[in-house]
Amino acid sequence: MRTGNRVRCALVVGAAAVLTTACATSSGTGGSGGEGLPGTVKIMSIKEMTGPVAFAGTHATRGIDLAVEQINQRKFLGDTKLEIDLHDSAASVQEAASFATQAVSDQSYSALLGPASSSQAAAVSPIADKAKIPVIYTQAGSDGVLVGDYTFRVTAPASSYFHHAGEYLKSKGAKTAAVLYNSGNPTLAELGQRTVPELAKEYGFSVSSSDGVQLTAQDFTNAGAKIARAKPDAVFVLLQGPQNPAAITQLKQNGYSGEIVGMTSMGAGNLKPAGQQAKGTVWPSDFSPHAEAPSVQEFVKAYQAKYNGELPNNYAAEAYDAAWFLARGIKEAGSADRTAIQQGLAAVAKQGFEGAEGKLRFEGNDLRVEGVLAGWDGSGEILVSRGAS
Amino acid sequence: MAQNLLNALTLGSLYLLFALGMSLAWGTIGILNFAHGSIFMFAAFTGHLLVQQVALPLPVVLLIGTAVGAALSVLAQVLAFEPIQRRARDHRRAELQILVGGIGIATIPLAIAQHATKSVPFGFTGSTFQVEVYRLGPVQLTNVQLVILGAAAVLTGVLAWWLRSARTGLALRSIGVDAEVATMMGVNRRGLAMATMAVAGALAGIAGVLLTYYLGSIAAESGDSFLIKAFAAIVLGGIGSIGGAVAGAMILALAETVVLTQTSGMWVDAVSFGLIFAVLVLRPRGLFGRKEVRRT
Repeated sequence: MRTGNRVRCALVVGAAAVLTTACATSSGTGGSGGEGLPGTVKIMSIKEMTGPVAFAGTHATRGIDLAVEQINQRKFLGDTKLEIDLHDSAASVQEAASFATQAVSDQSYSALLGPASSSQAAAVSPIADKAKIPVIYTQAGSDGVLVGDYTFRVTAPASSYFHHAGEYLKSKGAKTAAVLYNSGNPTLAELGQRTVPELAKEYGFSVSSSDGVQLTAQDFTNAGAKIARAKPDAVFVLLQGPQNPAAITQLKQNGYSGEIVGMTSMGAGNLKPAGQQAKGTVWPSDFSPHAEAPSVQEFVKAYQAKYNGELPNNYAAEAYDAAWFLARGIKEAGSADRTAIQQGLAAVAKQGFEGAEGKLRFEGNDLRVEGVLAGWDGSGEILVSRGAS
Repeated sequence: MAQNLLNALTLGSLYLLFALGMSLAWGTIGILNFAHGSIFMFAAFTGHLLVQQVALPLPVVLLIGTAVGAALSVLAQVLAFEPIQRRARDHRRAELQILVGGIGIATIPLAIAQHATKSVPFGFTGSTFQVEVYRLGPVQLTNVQLVILGAAAVLTGVLAWWLRSARTGLALRSIGVDAEVATMMGVNRRGLAMATMAVAGALAGIAGVLLTYYLGSIAAESGDSFLIKAFAAIVLGGIGSIGGAVAGAMILALAETVVLTQTSGMWVDAVSFGLIFAVLVLRPRGLFGRKEVRRT
């Protein structure tokens, strides 16, 4: 009996200690930063630092690092510091889900910056939404990513600014277009199967052929020869990053000389191996370092200053905006509490703000931007036409 | 039609160059090397790093790829496969451990290349070699295709002759039939295993460099999908058979080309691998596979 009482007493004391710790850590860590914010707000960032989409994860992390440095230096959150705890998902769905579960159970994390690939994001979203921890994605364009109030996306769907491609083709007098798309990637498949045919109706050209290729396809000789034989005025190459230079090279070697239109996966240096063969290729993009909007140029200058003059790409710009979106949400909330941050983010999303991608506005929890038409001049990326940003 | 056939032949030749080395090592010294794809990619990646510094012609890049492929393959043999074979209790267990070991080894060159390139594709833009296109009536052919077709024909012929007629080739085949008896007959098993792995790696290196010239660029992950295709070609043709590797690679490439040109590309693997499955149901040893003789 006496032993039983001692155990019960120990359990009560233990539970009280756990509750006290949970209350102390649920709003971030460290001392108070004023107005309900703790000394440090800890965020878990799940990015693909290695693996097949490392080009997206590494550049996104650079954008986040720059934003966090500015947020802390400018004392945007008063004395509160934003702290990013980076985890490499290595493009693995299981790893990403495992990190998200870890963040949910560890109350010191106030929010998540999610992975770029749709498959990983679709695994993370239900976990985060059910546990009521805000998660902000960049890229991750497929359905099943924005599943509730706690999931946000700071990359506009390509279809929302793809009109730049239609306007470009109309200006070039294109009447026919072929489509070559990656059928294993939901975003690219939707662009190829739905967005381009709708664009064709709106801008007065017809889709002469539409061919899907597999997720990991490498050889585009036959697809290139088939398209080159049909001689369409334009071809939409909607493939994953490393597939783009091979597809363009094969198209050109097969004698194709018409317009080539792609999407943002052609950025981030992916066309470099194709060199002069890819000259004249254009793609609608949510970001160009050459856009003239003041907020874009402010970001570009800061990025170049931090990274030895390197020009930022869309992955870095989107992630930079995501980090600033989060900081604005935390400031609006005035607290590191997860639910308060979600409400803060929703309030910021209603107002919109100006960032690295120009003027940002949200439809629900999903970003919309005006976008630009970027291009490749044989050795580097250029701005072909600018949007309102 | 003729153009599609030529494209299928080129693709088949690349599969063949890749699969030959794998088939040779698997069919003779019992090593199914799942790091073959990584070696293939890393040989091309090394060439890429060098042509960024010095403008090199195609033959020199090919030599570099050959040397890197052979060196990596021998290194895998010395550091992993040989110790596994020495310690494994039986043949079956050794095969399984080698397979798993190969998958582990493959991650090292892959991680290095992914880290260095950030998974952005790489090619030989610094090379002095320029792709030229020749038009022969309705058919169009590039100088890279000519090199690929020539290399596949010559190397397959040399390898077939070596295994059939040369003394060391015959000794190597005897290891494939019964390694213990071959050793008792004075065959230098270790030396031949090293030579086989060097040849297999060299062929992977050549395939990697030629594929990069052909496509214009590859990515760090390109070896993985090639590995699956080569594995399928070997199983289809028959393990350890040069003729089988040729038939398997060409049938696979032809099936892929037909599917790609007649239907949507998303059915390529489903139809190609379905065809392989159908052949294996009728001929479980593959088209040219030899009967397995196991003495108890």
